[in-house]
Amino acid sequence: MALLLRTVARQGLCSSRLQLAVLYRHAVPMGTTAKEEMDKFWNKNTRLNRPVSPHISIYQWSVPMMLSISHRGTGVALSSGISAFALAALVLPESYPHYLDLIHSMSFGPQFLAFSKFALAFPVAFHTFNGIRHLLWDLGKGFKIPEVYRSGYIVIALTVLTSIGLAAM
Amino acid sequence: MAALVRISYVCHRGVSPLLFRSSSLIRPLAVQKDRDCPYHLISAKIHATPSNYAGSGSKAASLHWTGERILSIALLGLAPMAYFYPVPAVDYTLAAALTLHGHWGLGQVLTDYVHGDSKIKMANAGLFLLSSVTFAGLCYFNYHDVGICKAVALLWSK
Repeated sequence: MALLLRTVARQGLCSSRLQLAVLYRHAVPMGTTAKEEMDKFWNKNTRLNRPVSPHISIYQWSVPMMLSISHRGTGVALSSGISAFALAALVLPESYPHYLDLIHSMSFGPQFLAFSKFALAFPVAFHTFNGIRHLLWDLGKGFKIPEVYRSGYIVIALTVLTSIGLAAM
Repeated sequence: MAALVRISYVCHRGVSPLLFRSSSLIRPLAVQKDRDCPYHLISAKIHATPSNYAGSGSKAASLHWTGERILSIALLGLAPMAYFYPVPAVDYTLAAALTLHGHWGLGQVLTDYVHGDSKIKMANAGLFLLSSVTFAGLCYFNYHDVGICKAVALLWSK
């Protein structure tokens, strides 16, 4: 069982309470960086062709987990979309209004258009709101588990409402 | 098994100032909690992260992290700007901010999932190429076409 007590020593705040029954007399800083150790791990395990233990296939999914991977998923999707758009701008011969008129001439139903706007707005809204949630964590706020869930639900609610609002515009 | 010990206790026993200002992760250690003998003389290896530790002195990673957060906040501010002031300055700033935010974000994804020296190098090179083309394309669009802000407005107008 890993016992992790994060302690930061600050000058002048020394207290003499003993946390663990361990006395460190000879503590030596490690000579390797975390990156070096990670590389060693992967090199050794790929060289020995070891299989990876089941992890995401067996661990029970939770809402924070799903929000986290969705944040990454929407990020990758949005980035790919922007790159595709930029590439198209470089490669396609006609101008943007030309292609927009092409889409308009295809006379899609209003529900389909509204749904398309919703589908575009949703990942942007989610990534934005969850991004704010991440920034709050970076400030050190909202790490208690109930808070993590609460902020997660707020992100979902705001995302849905914003996407509906934007689709209606 | 990793255990962190309150440095204050360690200080009490007179350890060098090197460890005083650090958060330490103590490496695997078999800890025997013995009622009869509460004190064990154990040699431990620790990750010390004080700024005066000359091991790998670079602040590059830390600065990168801070840069990512600042860029994210800047991007948040750009969104209302793009809506209320759809001018070329905002178009180009948006192009730069979006591309860089995406570049750094995808960089983190690669760091997480790509392993092996040559694979990492190739993946990062590919990413750099993609981001460069993306930025070039967006700038081209801003210059020769309607620009990002106007493009979104037009898309939403129908």
